[in-house]
Amino acid sequence: MTRSPVTNPYLLVLPGFLLAAFIILWPLYQLGVISLSEVNRFGQLRGFAGFDNYVAVFTDREFLGALWRTFIWTFGIVFGALIVSVPVALVLNEDFYGRSIARVIVMLPWAVSLTMTAIVWRWALNGESGMLNSGLRALGLIDTNIQWLARASTAFPMQILIGILVTIPFTTTIFLGGLSSIPDDLYEAARLEGANRWQTFRRITLPLMRPFLNIALVLNMIYVFNSFPIIWATTQGGPANSTDILVTYLYKLGFRFGKLGEASALSIMMFALLLAFTIAYVALAMRSERR
Amino acid sequence: MSAKLKRTIVAWAVLSPLIVLILFPFAVMFITAIKPQQEVLRPTWWPSRIAWQNFIDMWSVTNFGPALWNSVYVAVLSTLLALVVSIPAAYALNRYRFAGQGFFRQFLLVSQMLSPMVLVIGLFRLVVWLGLLDNVNSVVFVYGAFAVAFTVLMLQSYFATIPRDLEEAAWVEGASAWKALIRVFLPLALPAITVTAIFAFINSWNEFVIALTMLRRQESYTLPIQIFSLVAGRYTVEWHHVMAATFVATIPVAIVFAWLQRYLVRGLAIGAVK
Repeated sequence: MTRSPVTNPYLLVLPGFLLAAFIILWPLYQLGVISLSEVNRFGQLRGFAGFDNYVAVFTDREFLGALWRTFIWTFGIVFGALIVSVPVALVLNEDFYGRSIARVIVMLPWAVSLTMTAIVWRWALNGESGMLNSGLRALGLIDTNIQWLARASTAFPMQILIGILVTIPFTTTIFLGGLSSIPDDLYEAARLEGANRWQTFRRITLPLMRPFLNIALVLNMIYVFNSFPIIWATTQGGPANSTDILVTYLYKLGFRFGKLGEASALSIMMFALLLAFTIAYVALAMRSERR
Repeated sequence: MSAKLKRTIVAWAVLSPLIVLILFPFAVMFITAIKPQQEVLRPTWWPSRIAWQNFIDMWSVTNFGPALWNSVYVAVLSTLLALVVSIPAAYALNRYRFAGQGFFRQFLLVSQMLSPMVLVIGLFRLVVWLGLLDNVNSVVFVYGAFAVAFTVLMLQSYFATIPRDLEEAAWVEGASAWKALIRVFLPLALPAITVTAIFAFINSWNEFVIALTMLRRQESYTLPIQIFSLVAGRYTVEWHHVMAATFVATIPVAIVFAWLQRYLVRGLAIGAVK
């Protein structure tokens, strides 16, 4: 009997593997080479530069600002979404009238592209005629228009808020999956033992939700760290780079300021950080899988 | 009052602040899209009349048609590219035991997480090297390649639910491996493939940074880039047209996504948290 290609797993896997590996490794190799070279703004390599580009990134004040904001951005959104999503998932897990409508509404932000969401918010936050100002004025909450996107002190918190809103659906879904995996008899037993709601939550729900909380935490950190459209489509990191996070700053370095060497060095460092997080996630996922 | 009614009141009360925040941008989008032009910049919430005309004007003013075509082209072809290489890979991952299988799975899990964002400069050079700058096919290639990890993982988690006995029965009946695959397995796998394809399609449809980098001339713009270009760095923005365009570009996809979202969760959950 001749072996058909269909029964050779390597032949079946190969095209997918090559494509997925190529699209990561080729650019990565390029970035590595550029980051160690002197390069002009047209991308021509002008010789070996050692770690000059890396040093240049770290001595850049804009970089340090962006780094700090990335930290606030990531933790603000990840924990903000976590804090909102736990009660939302608990509520959506209950049986009540209109639950399926409520679920669809909570999932809506996930369904819309981040770019479009950000563009709509850019308009809603418009200082002169934005509908947030007119809405807040109509409710009597403010009496002068706020120029939301004109200053970092109002723009950045708003961007984080938008980030939280679009992160909630995914986080809630993971938690709902976790909640539905908890067997009902546990709650039944707790009820018979006379445990109140808070005790049940502390002693049963929370510990069993642990792996799901971890997964949501790590996945969200990775997604949020990489998130570009919200900031780019609302302020493009402005005014004066004051709302830049690493990804938007990276983009400017590479495609606006023409500092390809520094941009590549920054890419390599971000890639390394991301890889570390991802490996942590895969280890976590594998562990919970084995259990 | 019945217990369920009570629960209902509490549940909606707890959810209401979030629901208001979620629906707010949709309200802004829709209300602005139907406002007559002279009322757009006026700080009132409700339009005096509904200007459906905006949607017709928007089509030509925002160059919507060509961008829509580019988006459809890119999303369809990149999805097909990803599927063509992913279906065999997912099948092998699921039906065979082979050396390096664990490595391949881990490689996919890791590369699924690596966003194109941090590689964007390297990808840009890749596209220049291939001579595809400003060409929508560059985006097809990059989207397709980046989708592979996700589609393989999603497909193989669904393939695991398709019983092996049917293919084995076909082999016993004398069908070749090919025939068993095409006549028996693929029809059963069709729903899984469809769902996976739709998610790959939506991802491509919504992607921003790669398109922003690779497509620099208006003829090659996809919808997100086209609409973004109407807003960024302009002194006067025709917001009623922009919102109408956003509405048309977003709502059909959003409905499909909201409808299929539970499958995504199932796929993700099987892939990640068993």
